[in-house]
Amino acid sequence: MVHVFHYHDHHYLYDTGSGALHECDEKTARHLAGEPVEFTDEELKATLADIEGLKEAGLLYAEEPKAAPVKSHELKAMCIHICHDCNLRCKYCFADEGAYHAAREMMSLATAKQAIDFLIANSGARKILEVDFFGGEPLMNLDVIKETVAYAKAEAAKRGKRFLFTTTTNGLLLNDDAIAFLNAEMENVVLSLDGRPEIHDAVRKTVSGKGSFDAVIDKIKKFVRIRGDKNYYVRGTFTAKNLDFSKDVLYLADQGFASLSVEPVVTDIPELQIRQEHLPAIEAEYEKLCDEYICREAEGKGFSFFHFHIDLEGGPCLAKRVSACGAGNEYLSVVPNGDLYPCHQFAGDKKWRMGSVYEGITAPEIRSLFASSSLFTREKCGACFAKFICSGGCSANNYHYNDDINKPYEMTCAMMKKRIECAMHVLAERKSREN
Amino acid sequence: MIRTIAKPQAKKVTGCGECRSTCQSACKTSCTVGNQSCERVTREEKIERR
Repeated sequence: MVHVFHYHDHHYLYDTGSGALHECDEKTARHLAGEPVEFTDEELKATLADIEGLKEAGLLYAEEPKAAPVKSHELKAMCIHICHDCNLRCKYCFADEGAYHAAREMMSLATAKQAIDFLIANSGARKILEVDFFGGEPLMNLDVIKETVAYAKAEAAKRGKRFLFTTTTNGLLLNDDAIAFLNAEMENVVLSLDGRPEIHDAVRKTVSGKGSFDAVIDKIKKFVRIRGDKNYYVRGTFTAKNLDFSKDVLYLADQGFASLSVEPVVTDIPELQIRQEHLPAIEAEYEKLCDEYICREAEGKGFSFFHFHIDLEGGPCLAKRVSACGAGNEYLSVVPNGDLYPCHQFAGDKKWRMGSVYEGITAPEIRSLFASSSLFTREKCGACFAKFICSGGCSANNYHYNDDINKPYEMTCAMMKKRIECAMHVLAERKSREN
Repeated sequence: MIRTIAKPQAKKVTGCGECRSTCQSACKTSCTVGNQSCERVTREEKIERR
């Protein structure tokens, strides 16, 4: 399939079978989009020669892969809910302000160690294992994180494996001790900050109901300054209240944060929920951000926006592209009492309880459902140009919006497609500057 | 005229599973697999360049 799209006065062809991206003149683009176009004889000859040449090279109308590689059940990653409590009360929190619809609790060291043992025992031949310390607010249980990391490293060394640790924090408890530990041990740290102070404060409240921006901004800046060139993301959420979210991304960039991600909210709160009628404004906003992103990059003042990355040259293999995050199969989530769920977005929903780190997998049918799910089980994805880039969307989002992990939610699809087109344009502009 | 912007390199490995779980990498809500690079190929290329 060839996806033809236009970005300002640029015309692009993305070949889904080969993964190649081409730029062309407007007439060629319209011709390949099936529109009637009047070519001169010379133009027609040149265009057809280009098309045939690319077809022969396997870079246009290339055949798409049809079969999903067989998935193993070897675990590679675990989201450890080290703390089901939070020191903020963000209105849009999918995790019920940290409690996940249950009592607020911390994970004990014994359960965290058991989770590490479970991950290692079920990892088969995998050498690299990942653990994400998640919450609530993980730093509320920092001592257990520290001891768990030490334990995991020791156990991995005995078995020739290696752990990559990550965490997400709202920044409130980032003191010198926490900063030193996270910078020493965490492969990646995600810091939650929504953007402009008034936007952040409207939803990210302290327990007493006060905006939290002033309480976290200096701490997050200090953390990032000390972190140097190690991986981090300052990660925000936009809602129906700030559809002009490009201002928030740029505000964060102007604060000196070089690695940013701002995501659409997942909520059923009416005044915050992203709805179909917001889509044109959101798409326009991504374009506005994309234009400024390219300008800043060209001026040597660029930053990194998660969704504007695309690797069309050294990207993931087919196995990864069709299986996505691996939730419910090679990636599991464990809550403070040791219960297992397909991922953090299912945590606390008893329907999706898969077992526990103490008793093992007791609901193999859930694991089978996720293991058998792939891009090819998501019927709606078949005709979509973005399928080998997005992998069929987030299973949890699909379930929460459409009650089926294999049924993508059209709103997230539309935003994804827009972001991918922007990312391709960013790539083309960068290549153009390099040449 | 058609100009190729990017095309996939010949992959050396597939299905090795060394890549990170996408959701862990940054966003936790709306993942894009295609924005990641193949970690094994990237690592091997770094070694080759040394």
